[in-house]
Amino acid sequence: MASSISAFGYTVPLVVVLVLLALVVGLALVVMFWLTTIWSIYRSVQDTRRDQVRDDLQDELLERMFDPDAEWRPWVSSLSSVERDVVESLLDEYIRELDGQDVDQLQELGRELGIPEHSKRQLGKREEYTRLAALTWLTLLADPESLHATDFEPRTPRERAAVARLRWESDDLDTAVEGISILLDDATTQFTVFGQDTLYRIATEDPQALFQMAATHYDAWSQSLLVQVLTVCEHVGTNVTEEDISWLTAMLEHDDEVVRESAAGALKNIGWRDDLRAGRYTDRLLTDPSPRVRSAVYEMLARWGDDQALSKLTAALEFEENDRARLTGTNALVEHEDELLDRTHRTLGGAWAWSQEHVAYDRAARNETMNT
Amino acid sequence: MNTLTHLFTQTFFAFGLFVVSYYILVNIYYLFIHVLALLELRDDVRESRWDPPFRQFASPFYPGIGVVVPAYNEAATIVESVQSMLSLNYPEVEIVVVNDGSTDDTLERLVENFDLERIDADIPIDVPAEQIHGVYRSTRYEELLVVDKENGGKSDALNAGIWLTEMELFCAVDSDTIIDRNALLQLVRPFLEHPKTAVASGGVIRIANECTIEGGNVKSVALPKTGLPGLQVMEYLRAFYSGRLGLNRINGLILISGAFGLFRTDVVQEIGGYRHDTITEDFDIVVRLHRYLTDVGREYSVDFVPEPVAWTEVPSTRRMLGRQRRRWYRGMVETVVTNRRMLFNRKYGRVGSIVFPLFVAAETLGPLIEGLGYIILPLAWYFGLLSVEFFFIFFVLTTGFGVFLSWFGVFSEVWSFNRYDSPWQILRLLWYGVLENFGYRQWKTVVAWQGLVEYLKGVETWGAMERTGFKTEED
Repeated sequence: MASSISAFGYTVPLVVVLVLLALVVGLALVVMFWLTTIWSIYRSVQDTRRDQVRDDLQDELLERMFDPDAEWRPWVSSLSSVERDVVESLLDEYIRELDGQDVDQLQELGRELGIPEHSKRQLGKREEYTRLAALTWLTLLADPESLHATDFEPRTPRERAAVARLRWESDDLDTAVEGISILLDDATTQFTVFGQDTLYRIATEDPQALFQMAATHYDAWSQSLLVQVLTVCEHVGTNVTEEDISWLTAMLEHDDEVVRESAAGALKNIGWRDDLRAGRYTDRLLTDPSPRVRSAVYEMLARWGDDQALSKLTAALEFEENDRARLTGTNALVEHEDELLDRTHRTLGGAWAWSQEHVAYDRAARNETMNT
Repeated sequence: MNTLTHLFTQTFFAFGLFVVSYYILVNIYYLFIHVLALLELRDDVRESRWDPPFRQFASPFYPGIGVVVPAYNEAATIVESVQSMLSLNYPEVEIVVVNDGSTDDTLERLVENFDLERIDADIPIDVPAEQIHGVYRSTRYEELLVVDKENGGKSDALNAGIWLTEMELFCAVDSDTIIDRNALLQLVRPFLEHPKTAVASGGVIRIANECTIEGGNVKSVALPKTGLPGLQVMEYLRAFYSGRLGLNRINGLILISGAFGLFRTDVVQEIGGYRHDTITEDFDIVVRLHRYLTDVGREYSVDFVPEPVAWTEVPSTRRMLGRQRRRWYRGMVETVVTNRRMLFNRKYGRVGSIVFPLFVAAETLGPLIEGLGYIILPLAWYFGLLSVEFFFIFFVLTTGFGVFLSWFGVFSEVWSFNRYDSPWQILRLLWYGVLENFGYRQWKTVVAWQGLVEYLKGVETWGAMERTGFKTEED
């Protein structure tokens, strides 16, 4: 083997190169060892200090929370920095779990801890998660004023969702339209589940607002955002009386099966509308080439639940060739077992028997849970 | 004779040069992956600290998860495992336990402890698995489904579960695995962030030997006191934690542990489920997902989430560990050979052109080349061809770098989620990082060669894992 290495006109013995490399590795090892050990000790000391005060602080916090005469300020000003830190984490835990007056008390504690001021400063930081954490605190403290006191503008879908959530939770929205606009104006890409849930909460108060917005904006949305909005439409309730749903029925003809499937889902709750029932969508959809879409249509018809819908569904299931789609259909249909004729047992075969038994076990287990 | 000596000398020098070049390449790869892991971990830690202000359990938008648990002769741990899974925090979950023809009383224990009754109706869908003897439902737990089938191996059992769950996602879990109560809420995160593209996500597997388990949950975390499980903790931290984090950074994750992984059900059904003729089905399924989704031109992601944790018992004797590792090695070779078309194939993006080839170089060929070195070096020394000085420095260098990477894994753990919170445990982990280079590492090269021989001979057995059961507070 070559005993030296030549480069740029210099020749260095291989052993020297290896020794140098060994020294570098040795140095890296020393640094890594001490870094790991010191960091571990630091975290352990911090955790121990927090653990030592946690129980006492928890007791005191709960005691003060239920004492109408107690004031937070003297207590907060007596806390050390570690104790403040622990109180903040306890506050974060309790404020998410409690409701009503208890929350008012805890929000007061949050203000005494200076969280709104701190959050306002955090909203100016570069790191998105820091800004999101600040918006989360303002939501928990129901403090939209602190947001309005800054020139913060949401830049990402997550931030838009966090701002909409803060304003909705704090009753700071004039109308649901305002909240829906924060979420959907200029939006093109999909939300996280938090954003989708926020849209759902706001739209539940005024489903028409969401349907109106969707009717005018849907063609600018990405397919994944469209599917998310359709899924929200599925859950927002039945209070869509006269709004234009032509955009929704148009989605039943979309090229992508996921969009068609979601559109069928969105129509589940408004099956009572004459303009929807008058259309011939269902006949076409029951022969859709995608089993996923047909499955969604079966669920839609079962939800509509009237004689005409159930008879269409039963007839379609008799000829359904996809096992899984047929099973989805019988699972949905079995909820109307009492309204169906006995012949259903024979025409739907094994899938019907399977669904029937599973529903019976679901009910038995639910009853057992309720009894215990 | 001279010609023969010359030939041997030349061969030795060529091998030496190859080994040094190989060593440099593989270690640059490892270093690169570990640095990426640190960047990924930084982002993950930031992200995990943000807890959005909404009630997850009240949200109708969490996709349902079917937890599929294949069980073969798991009577010792099955009840505790199922109890642990029934107590998982997740809005919509279904536990599907598949009794894969156990010869012990796994099924009887399930029937007895969870008030199971057999469904009379025939299964109305075709399930691509061995014959199913019966499907059982609980009269107490709505979310529990038990499938009793003919023995067909782990892949077959998983397929039965995947076809029988109606959930959008499924989580493949080993029956001896204890999952942290909030783990599914974390593991599902990629599917919530990227609902359209996420197809799979994997969590962290940690070692439960010596941890105290109560009511199906890990009550206290402790580092194993004995050598072999301790060394495996170190190994899991380096390879399964740091390594996967680094690969995740470049969307190059090609392995999600079979003990704890979440997948989109319809996509796995589309590729025909798990292959029956493989013994490392977890590696195979992820590589096939990469291959299939690239072939059909679909945008996708496979993610690693460092916070959700599943705890598993690891082999504590050399015999059992050897058997497990030979199986892992055989399966790895088999998956690499099956998917060899992906190697150096730019069509498969980073996975085909960088990650998969380097994985093969480091994990498949690495132990073989190292093992060969242990044979050639004494020969070279005997024939006077080895510079002892060179060998010594090279050994120090390779060992030192190996220790550095192990310590990097420990540092990542301390810096992020710090499950081993006592500094004494960390010191012991650091010591295991040194210790594994003397004896354990060399033994693994022998196991790799044995695994290769078994693969070439067509051995297909799994080998049974003898479990001692988890340690409880009473113990």
